[in-house]
Order: sequence, then C-alpha cells, then structure tokens
Amino acid sequence: MTAFRALIAEDEPVLAQALAHTLQRLWPELAIEAIVQNGVQAVEKALALQPDLLFLDIRMPGMTGLQAAEALAEDWPDGRPFPLVVFVTAYDDYALQAFEQAAADYVQKPVSDARLARTVARLQARLAAPATGDAALEQVLRQLRALAPPVAAQPAARLTVIRAAVGNQVRMIPVPDVIYFEATDKYVNVVTADSQSLIRLSLRELLDQLDPAQFWQIHRGTVVNIGQVTAAVRDEAGRLRLSLRGRSETLAVSRVFAHLFRQM
Amino acid sequence: MEQTLPLKTWRQRLPLHLLIVIGFNLLCAVVITHVLHRGGSFLENLVFSLCIGTLAWLFIDGGRLLLWGDGKPPGLPFAALTLVSLPAAQMGGSLLAAWLLGMHDHPVLPIHSSHAAQILLFSVLAGLTATWFFWNRGRLAYLEAQAEAEKARAAGIERQAMQAQLQLLQAQIEPHMLFNTLANLQGLIAIDPPRAQLLLDQLIEYLRATLGSSRLASTTLAQEFRLMQAYLGLMSVRMGQRLAYALDLPADLAGVDVAPMLLQPLVENAIHHGLEPRMEGGRIDVGAARHGDLLVLTVRDTGMGLEAQAAPGNGLALRNVRERLAALYGDAASLTLTPNLPQGAIAEIRMPLR
Repeated sequence: MTAFRALIAEDEPVLAQALAHTLQRLWPELAIEAIVQNGVQAVEKALALQPDLLFLDIRMPGMTGLQAAEALAEDWPDGRPFPLVVFVTAYDDYALQAFEQAAADYVQKPVSDARLARTVARLQARLAAPATGDAALEQVLRQLRALAPPVAAQPAARLTVIRAAVGNQVRMIPVPDVIYFEATDKYVNVVTADSQSLIRLSLRELLDQLDPAQFWQIHRGTVVNIGQVTAAVRDEAGRLRLSLRGRSETLAVSRVFAHLFRQM
Repeated sequence: MEQTLPLKTWRQRLPLHLLIVIGFNLLCAVVITHVLHRGGSFLENLVFSLCIGTLAWLFIDGGRLLLWGDGKPPGLPFAALTLVSLPAAQMGGSLLAAWLLGMHDHPVLPIHSSHAAQILLFSVLAGLTATWFFWNRGRLAYLEAQAEAEKARAAGIERQAMQAQLQLLQAQIEPHMLFNTLANLQGLIAIDPPRAQLLLDQLIEYLRATLGSSRLASTTLAQEFRLMQAYLGLMSVRMGQRLAYALDLPADLAGVDVAPMLLQPLVENAIHHGLEPRMEGGRIDVGAARHGDLLVLTVRDTGMGLEAQAAPGNGLALRNVRERLAALYGDAASLTLTPNLPQGAIAEIRMPLR
C-alpha cells in the first residue's frame, strides 16, 4: 500500500509545524508533502501535488480556506481522486455550527490530540474504503454549498444602473442590459450585447447588490443574467457551458454551480 | 444645593448695588422736582430721595441678608419685609434728610403735608420698583448659576461615563488574541520548548502591561511603548517571517503622560487590516516625536494600504480613537491616515504635549 500524502495550508508557521508534528505522531505513515502559508499557494500546490489529504486553515491571506476549496473543486482535473478536506478553524469562527451542519471535517485551534486522533481515524477509514467515483469531490461540493455565505439579512440597496468610467466619461449601463459580470484581477468586467466596461468593485460586493433571482453566480469569477441565457450545453470534456442571447462566446459553469442547470 | 451655587456674595454685590441705588434716587429726585412739581429745590429733593432710598435698600437688602444670608429668599416673607421696610424707610429717611438740611420744622409723618398722599404713593411705588428690579436681578443670577451648575454636573457625568467606558475597553483583552497566542504556545511546547518559554514570557509581559495600564486614567509613553513591544512580539511569533517591526521612542519623551489605548488600536489596525491580509506580510514602525509643543505618534506599515484599512467595518477602532482625542483635547488633537509609499498606510496622532 502506498503511503498517503498530505498538504497543510496554514498562515501561522508555529501552528503549521505543530499540526504536522502531531499528525506525524498520530499517523506515522502519512507523508506531509508540503506546508504552504496562504490560500493561493494552497490551490497551486494542491493542483501540482494532488495529495490525498488537504488541511485548510479558514483564515488565510490571499484566499480563505473555503475559497481555496472552491477554486480547487472548480479546477480539479477530471478522473483524478479529489483530496479529503479537513478545515482548520480559529477558536470562535462563526462557521463552527455551519461546519457541523455541512458535515464537513474540521478541527479547531488549538488542536487537541484527542480530537485530531478521532479525525485521523475517520480519514483512515474513508481512505481505506474502495473509491466510488467522485465521492470526495461530491462531498466537498455539498459542503461548500452548505457553507456558502448566507444572503445578507438586510440586502444592500439594489443597483439599477452600473456607472462605469470609460476614458473621461461615465457610462450608464442599466442593470437589466447586463448579460454577465466577469471578475478580472482587481476589476469586474461588465458585459452587455454591444459593450464591455471595467468597474472597480469585487464580485462579492456586486452580488450583494443584485437581484439573486435574476443574477446567478455560475463560477467563482462569473455572474450571469439568467434571462439572457438560452441553453446549457455539455462540451466534449463533460463541462457545462452556457450560450447567451446577443453574445457569441459561451460561459463555463463550475462544478460548484452545475446543479443549478439540471433539467426539471 | 443652593449653598453650592456660585452666586456672588453680598460683599461682591455691594458696590454695584450701591451705585444702582444712588442712580435710582437721582432719577427719583429729578421726577419729584420736574415732573411732580412738589416744590423744594432739586438738591433738597435729592437729599430726601437719597436718604429714603438708601434706607429702604438697607432695610430690605440688609434684612434679607440677616434673615436668609446669601441664599435666595422665599417669596412671601420677602414681600412682607418689603412692605414693612418701605414706610419705615419713608419715615426714617424723611427725618434724616430734614435733620441734614436743618429743616427742624419738617413734619415727621408726611400725612400732614399738602402733597402727603402723592409723596407717600410715589415713595412706595419707587421702592417697589427698585425692589422688584433687584429681586429679578437676583432671580436671573440664581437661574444663571443654576444652569451653570447643571452644565458642570452634566459634563462631570459625561466625563465619568467616558472614563468608565475607557476602563472597560482597556480591561478587555481581545479573546481572539489570547486564544491564538495560546494555540501558538501549545504548538511550541510540542516542537520547540525554549521558544515556548520565550513566548510565555512575552505573553506575561503583555498581560502585565495591559492590566497595569487599565488601572490608570493616564500612562507614560514609555509604558505604552513597552505594551506595543510585547504585543508586536506576540504577533511576530504568530506571523513568523511575515512580520518585521521596530519601535522608536526618543529618551526625552519616555516620561510624557498620555491617555492609554491611543496607540494600541492603531497598531492592531495596521496588523489586522494592513499586514495579515497581505500574503507577503510587511513591516510596522511605531514612533514618537516632538514637533514644537505637539506630540506626534506614528504607526507606519507596508500592508494593504488605505483602501483596505478604511473599508467599511474597519473604521470602528479609528473612530474610537478620534472620539477619545476629541473628548480629551478638543480641536487641539487629530488622527490622520495617509498612504505610505510605495506601499501601506501611515496613521498619525497629533496632540498637545502636557
């Protein structure tokens, strides 16, 4: 039997070392392949190393543990077993209850030996069981859906018009005219049938101000006006793509959001 | 309550009141001579007016002073005093004036004279007017004093509330901070016991400094810098290579008194919103300097910059510092946030050296 391999993502070096140390003591055969200090590195390293186990700190610079898990679920190569994910949370993270409800594996800092031993036993049992398709990926997707930040109780005022600076003028774009929003590095690209404009806002901030019945997130970087979608098509690789009214390009739907486009 | 009001004492009031009485009597003499045409020269009438008026004032104000001291007299007894005093002053004043002017045949009671009724009525009216004038003046002064006292009391309450709030703030050691430090301590005990000992020392230093300064309304810059040294020491264990820091307190400023908890929120802000979210981390420089008679405290970081630090929800700590500065120093103190070049933010407090 080949040794199982783990990746630890934790921004506090002492805590990362301590977790690795305790894991080695409780599970000597486990190979800890790498320790990374932020969410971005976690995604890169996990895609490169394809470990069996992933310990993800929730609060990390760059990307939170949840965002990293989501990015991994979106970008994970087909046919490769998705790692088992254990979230590591600070003592009072809002999410504790949510983790329980989502049946996600998590350990709380400071990590107690007893708790980590139980987690290790559960992980060993799951790794020993014969793999059934994409069970691990399906589970993470379910957990991420359950853990998605709830819609703000008091939604920010709804946007009716997008004001985008283009050269020395401000273009006024009625929100119903928008076909989709696409996150780029620091901006969001606002795409209509005949224009594209950049606005300086995060996709998350924008989502809070849009009608959730009209604008659906379909990828961590894409929000689409569902009224402008004509069809969802599965391509040769088995990925879902949306074709649009008034635009020739198609939009990729990530695994995390694919369930939104199942037939009725 | 009335005794504590800052009303002027009778000694302080005397010169002004005497002046008012003389002026009023001068007016009476003019009215009697030129309006009522009672006869007699202006000088005679002035002497009569002065004698009667001054006596009336002495009886009323003196009686008031004897009976009620510098306090506010009760209405009805004071009215009775006035009604008794006015005829007595009329009689006594007339006698005194007649004697002064050598009018030995002047009637003691004005009832016998031809204008008797008119003169008596005039005296009583003038007396009542003067008394009413002084009464209202007194009441106004009393009300003003009362308003002053109320204002002082409200300010006192506000100050107390602020002090209490401040002490509460200081006593609060952020539980996040404590738990995360303990988690690190636990980790170090397993992997590096000597460093665990070091971290524990730093935690003790931090707790001692925090709890120590929470007992004081004011502390010294040296103490505040020691607290920040301990705090940044703890944070650097947690953040490892991602945090570098330096503190610079000129020796001649070490003993300067400052309100506690002005510096800490700025350093915490620089850590939480500046360096922690930045993948590569950065450095923090805490400094103090004298600019004329101003004390300038600076927290300079190379973190995410102003946009991140001023983001909604992050402004609470800064607002607290601003409010406390305003309460303690008014317009003389300020907190500004400016961009640090090429990266990060600079928070700067300016306040009077005291």
